[in-house]
Amino acid sequence: MAKTVNRYFQFLSSNRDIKPSGRLWYPAADVYEAPDGWLVKVELAGVSAEDVEMEIDGRCLSISGTRKDRTCDPGVSYHQMEITYSRFEKTLTFPEMIEGASIEHNFDNGLLIIRLKTASRGGQ
Amino acid sequence: MAEDKNQEPLLTKPRPGQEFDIAVLPLQNTTLFPDTVVPLAVGRERSSKAVEAALSTEEKLLACFTIRTPDVTGSDAKPSDIYEIGSIVNIKRMMRNEGIMQLVVQGVERVKVVDWLQGEPFIKAKVQILPDLRMVDLENCEALKRNIHTMIQEALAMLPSVPPEVRMAVLSQNDPVQLSYFLASVLDLGAETEQRMLEAGTTDDLLSLTHGALARELEIMQIRSKIATEAQTEMDKAQREYILRQQLKAIQKELGEDETGEKAEAQQLRERLETTDLPEDVRKEAERELRRMEQLPQAAPDYHVIRTYLEYVLDLPWNRSSEEKLDLTEAQKILDEDHYGLDDVKKRILEALAVVKLRPDSKSPIILFVGPPGVGKTSLGRSIARSLGREFDRIALGGVRDEAELRGHRRTYIGAMPGRIIQMLRRVGKNNPVMMLDEIDKLGNDYRGDPASALLEILDPAQNHTFRDHYLDLPFDLSKVFFIATANQLGPIPMPLRDRMEIINIAGYSDQEKLHIARQYLIPRQTTENGLKPEHLEVTDGAVNLLTSRYTREAGVRQLERSIGNLARKVALKVAEGDDSKVTVTEKEVKAFLGSPRFHPEEARDELPPGVATGMAWTAMGGDILFIEATLLPGSQGLTLTGQLGEVMKESAMAARSYLWSHGKEFGIDPELINKNGIHLHVPAGAIPKDGPSAGVTMASAMASLLSGKKVRSDTAMTGEITLSGLVFPVGGIKEKVLAAHRAGVKRIILPDRNEADIEEIPEDVRKELEIIPARYISDVLKAALEVNVTSVNPDSYGAPGTKKGRRKGSGATTGATAV
Repeated sequence: MAKTVNRYFQFLSSNRDIKPSGRLWYPAADVYEAPDGWLVKVELAGVSAEDVEMEIDGRCLSISGTRKDRTCDPGVSYHQMEITYSRFEKTLTFPEMIEGASIEHNFDNGLLIIRLKTASRGGQ
Repeated sequence: MAEDKNQEPLLTKPRPGQEFDIAVLPLQNTTLFPDTVVPLAVGRERSSKAVEAALSTEEKLLACFTIRTPDVTGSDAKPSDIYEIGSIVNIKRMMRNEGIMQLVVQGVERVKVVDWLQGEPFIKAKVQILPDLRMVDLENCEALKRNIHTMIQEALAMLPSVPPEVRMAVLSQNDPVQLSYFLASVLDLGAETEQRMLEAGTTDDLLSLTHGALARELEIMQIRSKIATEAQTEMDKAQREYILRQQLKAIQKELGEDETGEKAEAQQLRERLETTDLPEDVRKEAERELRRMEQLPQAAPDYHVIRTYLEYVLDLPWNRSSEEKLDLTEAQKILDEDHYGLDDVKKRILEALAVVKLRPDSKSPIILFVGPPGVGKTSLGRSIARSLGREFDRIALGGVRDEAELRGHRRTYIGAMPGRIIQMLRRVGKNNPVMMLDEIDKLGNDYRGDPASALLEILDPAQNHTFRDHYLDLPFDLSKVFFIATANQLGPIPMPLRDRMEIINIAGYSDQEKLHIARQYLIPRQTTENGLKPEHLEVTDGAVNLLTSRYTREAGVRQLERSIGNLARKVALKVAEGDDSKVTVTEKEVKAFLGSPRFHPEEARDELPPGVATGMAWTAMGGDILFIEATLLPGSQGLTLTGQLGEVMKESAMAARSYLWSHGKEFGIDPELINKNGIHLHVPAGAIPKDGPSAGVTMASAMASLLSGKKVRSDTAMTGEITLSGLVFPVGGIKEKVLAAHRAGVKRIILPDRNEADIEEIPEDVRKELEIIPARYISDVLKAALEVNVTSVNPDSYGAPGTKKGRRKGSGATTGATAV
């Protein structure tokens, strides 16, 4: 049994972004402090803009959505698959309230760039 | 798929009760739970198709259901074989590897089949997402959860290889459902239990199932760990023993002890068994014993008993013989070299050897040498062995009183050994040695058995080819053994035993022979044995004669040799002290070296008073002369006999008196003298018991002398049995008796005429010096023995010394003397 457990965990550790209890995958994100607010960069290659939802609640910014594979036309079949296509969720916590901040986002080379302009920083 | 695209995206917001169509992958022995990540391998065509279909959707979703009966392997499972509750999973990775698809999937939601849509080319079903688990009893769930945590800790304690971060991750999982699903996927609980956990509708049910499964799993782990520990202990013990044994072996090797061990020991015996020439039945028996031995541990007492036995069997000369090299001329030469005289004995021996030569397979004769000590019986045996070219060994039977000494003890006894016969055969290593059974007349016997009876078998040529020793319990052929027995007297040898042997008498040596023996053998031997050179010591014939007559009294030459040795040592002392000059031993030196003579030649008395006669006796030491004294007891009656006489001797004294009483007149005896006077007859020396009829004539002569007043001639000795009718019967031991009488200085011998044949045995030099008178009747004896002159018949004058006479005078009565 020890072997089974080990194999399982080795497998898990190669997917460090997945917690054993997680239903989802978690895209990596960078957070920058900017003069007028915050800049968030999320690794979301292959995700359509319409499939992404964002929500602000207090000091938290939740980004969720689904990466869908739209390459599957008839006659095309997989030989190898390593990209995860499923629902994702990312919650970022900020050191200050961001409630009421204005959100701008755009995709740049597979990265989702989010700009938060908060009133306290004079962005709004 | 086209129709899927029309549907609302599934996972963006999955909700209970939502229904949708999906490809189904039936699983064997595996249950997938929501949230768990599991690798899968897909090989079946139908399954591959289901996976392909799932991959072609945007969200890579697949429904996994477990097959009810896991043994549906040959054919594809039908929908009816599949549980209706399973999970939908998201395919996260996929690799193709030689026709097999390797997947990594993650459980998403529990689903229930609403309808089976198709079975080919892959199973497709309409499924409904099941609601999340409800918690019914909060306290119960909490208690179960804590218990489960405790058990996980216990389990992890037994799994030291699980990395610490994993421990942390497991233990920090607080969601009871996710924890349960995780445990169910990690532990190998069996498809049925796993399915029940998946179907559990409440957290309470799920936790109690998990709790039960984990408890059982923990129990198994503990038992396994215990078994492993025990196995380890057991192995440690075996290991320890092995190492100690290796060390023991090394120590034994260092000590030079048998490093080969019992196996090798048995192996060695087996090799010897295979190479040794054995009779078939012996080989069979030996192999049987060897097999028994191989099955015994070395420490068993029987092991060594069998080993000794087998070694004995293998050592025995079953088929090994000395090569016969029998040359009669050579044999004669050897016998002459080793022994002086004994011509008759040598002749008999050569006759026996001649038969052996002509018929090698014939039964060897069994020779019995009878004679006084020191006459060379044993060394004759040695000479026979030498002339036959065979091994020689002797077994001293003197004092042997237990049959087992000869025939061995049965192997059941502790310390059992083979008998002396078999021991000797092993010693000489040949099956045809010359075996001397020494002192066969001194065999004892008691309640333990009679060794003489065992000898009956051993010495019987008809039986001894299958001689069975009790120890060996195998027949050994003794018929090739040349047996020689020796004895001092025939009397104690049981008749049946005597009957089996060819008796050769060796009577003893005359003074003349002793002189020769001394000159040829004894003096040279004692000279070298005492470290002298021949030029140091010379013994004159006169000295030897003095030694034989005055310093020794024996039939053989043992005392003579000792006396010569004594002389030699005196000379050796002188030489050792530096005086290298030659010593010539004459009569004078003998007296100087050995003191005054031990024996005095007074046996043949110069003159005998009336009533005394010289008789001859046979003893185990050879012969001797004795004096029979008779005296009148005036006023008394009858016959008084003293001197430790046996019944036979007493009766022959009575016969002598009765004969003289009735025939007295013929010899000038007055019967009234006997009528009125008693007679006392005494035979010195009083302490020695005497028996036998051969003193008859001597007693008659003594009484006749007493009653007639005529002295018995002092130079005359006599022997012979008498009868009431006056006949003289032959007796035994003539040679010994005559030699003894000659030694004692007797000149005339009266013998029964029927003993004439024995006269030839007497050495010629002795015969020449003696006048031998054969007697048929008592009258012949009395004529020859008594002097003509009557001294006095008056009892009062008894004891007066007679007149001295020339010894040869008055021998006119002995006209018939044959002094050959």
